[in-house]
Amino acid sequence: MELKVMYFGMIAEATNCREEIISVGNRCSIYQLENLLKDKYQNLQPISFKIAVDKEILQNDILLTPNTEIALLPSFAGG
Amino acid sequence: MKKKKTVFIDGPISPAFIANSIEKHQTKTTIGAHDIFLGQVRADNIDGKIVQAIDYSAYKDMAEDKFHEIREATFSKFDLTCMHIYHSLGIVKTGEICLFVFVSAPHRKVAFEALEFLVEEIKKDVPVFGKEILEDETHVWKVNR
Repeated sequence: MELKVMYFGMIAEATNCREEIISVGNRCSIYQLENLLKDKYQNLQPISFKIAVDKEILQNDILLTPNTEIALLPSFAGG
Repeated sequence: MKKKKTVFIDGPISPAFIANSIEKHQTKTTIGAHDIFLGQVRADNIDGKIVQAIDYSAYKDMAEDKFHEIREATFSKFDLTCMHIYHSLGIVKTGEICLFVFVSAPHRKVAFEALEFLVEEIKKDVPVFGKEILEDETHVWKVNR
Protein backbone atom coordinates (compact mmCIF):
# COMPACT_ATOMS: atom_id res chain seq x y z
CA MET A 1 0.00 0.00 0.00
CA GLU A 2 0.98 3.60 -0.41
CA LEU A 3 1.15 6.11 2.41
CA LYS A 4 1.37 9.87 2.34
CA VAL A 5 4.16 10.89 4.71
CA MET A 6 4.72 14.49 5.78
CA TYR A 7 7.85 15.97 7.31
CA PHE A 8 8.13 18.99 9.59
CA GLY A 9 10.80 21.23 11.08
CA MET A 10 14.27 19.70 11.25
CA ILE A 11 12.86 16.45 9.81
CA ALA A 12 11.93 18.21 6.55
CA GLU A 13 15.47 19.57 6.52
CA ALA A 14 16.94 16.06 6.94
CA THR A 15 14.76 14.52 4.20
CA ASN A 16 14.97 17.62 2.01
CA CYS A 17 11.26 17.40 1.23
CA ARG A 18 7.94 18.21 2.94
CA GLU A 19 5.90 15.23 1.86
CA GLU A 20 6.06 12.16 -0.32
CA ILE A 21 4.33 8.87 -1.06
CA ILE A 22 6.02 5.83 0.49
CA SER A 23 5.23 2.26 -0.57
CA VAL A 24 5.13 -0.31 2.22
CA GLY A 25 3.95 -3.91 2.62
CA ASN A 26 0.35 -4.56 3.60
CA ARG A 27 1.19 -5.39 7.20
CA CYS A 28 3.41 -2.49 8.18
CA SER A 29 3.56 -1.13 11.72
CA ILE A 30 4.53 2.39 12.71
CA TYR A 31 7.79 0.97 13.99
CA GLN A 32 8.55 -0.71 10.64
CA LEU A 33 7.78 2.51 8.78
CA GLU A 34 10.15 4.37 11.09
CA ASN A 35 12.96 1.91 10.30
CA LEU A 36 12.24 2.08 6.59
CA LEU A 37 12.50 5.87 6.64
CA LYS A 38 15.68 5.80 8.74
CA ASP A 39 17.21 3.48 6.13
CA LYS A 40 16.13 5.80 3.34
CA TYR A 41 17.37 8.92 5.11
CA GLN A 42 20.53 8.36 7.15
CA ASN A 43 20.20 11.97 8.40
CA LEU A 44 17.10 10.99 10.37
CA GLN A 45 18.95 8.58 12.62
CA PRO A 46 20.22 11.02 15.27
CA ILE A 47 16.94 13.00 15.40
CA SER A 48 14.32 12.23 17.99
CA PHE A 49 10.80 12.34 16.55
CA LYS A 50 7.26 11.12 17.00
CA ILE A 51 4.97 9.73 14.32
CA ALA A 52 1.40 10.95 14.05
CA VAL A 53 -1.18 8.84 12.24
CA ASP A 54 -4.20 10.85 11.17
CA LYS A 55 -3.09 13.57 13.60
CA GLU A 56 -2.78 11.29 16.64
CA ILE A 57 0.41 9.96 18.19
CA LEU A 58 -0.12 6.22 18.60
CA GLN A 59 1.87 3.30 20.00
CA ASN A 60 4.43 2.21 17.46
CA ASP A 61 3.32 -1.42 17.21
CA ILE A 62 0.01 -0.40 15.61
CA LEU A 63 -0.47 -1.56 12.01
CA LEU A 64 -0.94 1.15 9.41
CA THR A 65 -3.92 1.18 7.09
CA PRO A 66 -4.20 2.69 3.58
CA ASN A 67 -5.30 6.31 3.16
CA THR A 68 -3.94 7.44 6.48
CA GLU A 69 -1.96 10.63 6.84
CA ILE A 70 1.44 10.04 8.43
CA ALA A 71 3.54 12.87 9.88
CA LEU A 72 7.03 12.82 11.36
CA LEU A 73 7.18 15.37 14.16
CA PRO A 74 10.39 16.57 15.77
CA SER A 75 10.42 18.10 19.28
CA PHE A 76 7.71 20.68 19.81
CA ALA A 77 8.72 24.30 20.34
CA GLY A 78 5.47 26.21 20.71
CA GLY A 79 5.20 29.29 22.88
CA MET B 1 -18.41 19.69 18.39
CA LYS B 2 -18.11 23.46 18.60
CA LYS B 3 -16.56 25.37 15.74
CA LYS B 4 -12.79 25.54 16.03
CA LYS B 5 -11.40 28.97 16.70
CA THR B 6 -8.50 30.39 14.76
CA VAL B 7 -5.36 30.35 16.81
CA PHE B 8 -2.57 31.11 14.36
CA ILE B 9 -1.52 34.63 13.48
CA ASP B 10 1.03 35.52 10.81
CA GLY B 11 4.05 37.14 12.42
CA PRO B 12 4.26 38.66 15.91
CA ILE B 13 1.26 39.39 18.15
CA SER B 14 1.14 43.15 18.64
CA PRO B 15 0.62 44.84 22.04
CA ALA B 16 -2.31 46.70 20.41
CA PHE B 17 -4.00 43.40 19.58
CA ILE B 18 -3.62 42.33 23.22
CA ALA B 19 -4.97 45.66 24.52
CA ASN B 20 -7.93 45.40 22.16
CA SER B 21 -8.66 41.91 23.39
CA ILE B 22 -8.71 43.14 27.01
CA GLU B 23 -11.01 45.99 26.07
CA LYS B 24 -13.51 43.61 24.44
CA HIS B 25 -14.06 41.94 27.82
CA GLN B 26 -15.23 45.08 29.58
CA THR B 27 -18.84 44.30 28.64
CA LYS B 28 -18.64 40.85 30.26
CA THR B 29 -19.36 41.90 33.83
CA THR B 30 -19.59 38.43 35.41
CA ILE B 31 -15.81 38.34 35.06
CA GLY B 32 -13.84 39.34 38.16
CA ALA B 33 -10.37 38.14 37.18
CA HIS B 34 -8.30 37.92 34.01
CA ASP B 35 -4.94 36.24 33.72
CA ILE B 36 -2.65 36.55 30.72
CA PHE B 37 0.44 34.70 29.56
CA LEU B 38 2.67 36.25 26.92
CA GLY B 39 5.47 34.25 25.34
CA GLN B 40 8.30 36.47 24.09
CA VAL B 41 11.17 35.47 21.80
CA ARG B 42 14.40 35.42 23.80
CA ALA B 43 17.80 36.41 22.43
CA ASP B 44 19.55 33.23 23.59
CA ASN B 45 23.27 32.88 23.12
CA ILE B 46 23.90 29.60 21.30
CA ASP B 47 27.60 28.73 21.16
CA GLY B 48 28.53 32.40 20.91
CA LYS B 49 25.85 33.37 18.40
CA ILE B 50 22.82 35.43 19.39
CA VAL B 51 19.29 34.44 18.35
CA GLN B 52 17.72 37.15 16.16
CA ALA B 53 14.29 35.66 15.51
CA ILE B 54 12.30 32.45 15.53
CA ASP B 55 10.64 31.21 12.35
CA TYR B 56 7.59 29.23 13.54
CA SER B 57 5.93 26.50 11.52
CA ALA B 58 3.29 23.94 12.45
CA TYR B 59 1.49 20.80 11.43
CA LYS B 60 -1.52 23.07 11.21
CA ASP B 61 -4.38 20.56 11.01
CA MET B 62 -3.13 18.59 13.99
CA ALA B 63 -2.21 21.74 15.92
CA GLU B 64 -5.72 23.14 15.50
CA ASP B 65 -7.19 19.83 16.72
CA LYS B 66 -4.87 19.88 19.73
CA PHE B 67 -5.69 23.51 20.58
CA HIS B 68 -9.35 22.55 20.44
CA GLU B 69 -8.87 19.51 22.71
CA ILE B 70 -6.86 21.59 25.18
CA ARG B 71 -9.58 24.27 25.24
CA GLU B 72 -12.29 21.70 25.90
CA ALA B 73 -10.21 20.00 28.62
CA THR B 74 -9.54 23.35 30.30
CA PHE B 75 -13.19 24.38 30.21
CA SER B 76 -14.27 21.08 31.77
CA LYS B 77 -11.60 21.27 34.48
CA PHE B 78 -11.94 24.93 35.48
CA ASP B 79 -14.86 27.29 35.95
CA LEU B 80 -13.83 29.83 33.31
CA THR B 81 -15.97 32.48 31.66
CA CYS B 82 -13.81 32.58 28.54
CA MET B 83 -10.48 31.68 27.05
CA HIS B 84 -8.43 32.87 24.07
CA ILE B 85 -5.27 31.43 22.57
CA TYR B 86 -3.16 32.99 19.81
CA HIS B 87 0.13 31.67 18.46
CA SER B 88 2.41 33.16 15.82
CA LEU B 89 3.54 31.48 12.63
CA GLY B 90 6.42 32.73 10.51
CA ILE B 91 9.11 35.13 11.68
CA VAL B 92 8.97 36.65 15.18
CA LYS B 93 11.95 38.78 16.17
CA THR B 94 13.52 38.77 19.62
CA GLY B 95 11.50 40.85 22.07
CA GLU B 96 8.28 40.29 20.13
CA ILE B 97 5.31 38.25 21.36
CA CYS B 98 4.70 34.79 19.88
CA LEU B 99 2.08 33.37 22.26
CA PHE B 100 -0.91 35.09 23.90
CA VAL B 101 -3.08 33.09 26.28
CA PHE B 102 -5.93 34.90 28.00
CA VAL B 103 -8.32 33.39 30.56
CA SER B 104 -11.17 35.06 32.43
CA ALA B 105 -13.17 33.81 35.41
CA PRO B 106 -15.39 35.16 38.17
CA HIS B 107 -12.53 34.73 40.71
CA ARG B 108 -8.73 34.88 40.59
CA LYS B 109 -7.64 31.40 41.78
CA VAL B 110 -9.34 29.60 38.94
CA ALA B 111 -7.80 32.01 36.44
CA PHE B 112 -4.26 31.44 37.83
CA GLU B 113 -4.59 27.66 37.79
CA ALA B 114 -6.29 27.41 34.41
CA LEU B 115 -3.66 29.61 32.77
CA GLU B 116 -0.76 27.50 34.00
CA PHE B 117 -2.50 24.31 32.92
CA LEU B 118 -3.22 25.74 29.47
CA VAL B 119 0.28 27.01 28.77
CA GLU B 120 1.89 23.73 29.89
CA GLU B 121 -0.48 21.68 27.71
CA ILE B 122 0.21 23.91 24.70
CA LYS B 123 3.98 23.54 25.10
CA LYS B 124 3.70 19.76 25.54
CA ASP B 125 1.09 18.69 22.97
CA VAL B 126 0.83 21.15 20.07
CA PRO B 127 3.01 20.39 17.02
CA VAL B 128 4.63 23.78 16.52
CA PHE B 129 8.27 23.97 15.45
CA GLY B 130 10.70 26.83 15.88
CA LYS B 131 13.75 27.62 13.79
CA GLU B 132 16.02 29.95 15.74
CA ILE B 133 17.72 32.29 13.28
CA LEU B 134 21.19 33.34 14.47
CA GLU B 135 23.09 36.53 13.76
CA ASP B 136 25.19 34.95 10.99
CA GLU B 137 21.99 33.65 9.33
CA THR B 138 22.65 30.05 10.29
CA HIS B 139 19.97 28.39 12.39
CA VAL B 140 19.26 25.83 15.09
CA TRP B 141 15.96 24.15 15.99
CA LYS B 142 14.34 25.12 19.27
CA VAL B 143 13.23 22.43 21.71
CA ASN B 144 10.80 23.10 24.59
CA ARG B 145 12.18 22.26 28.00
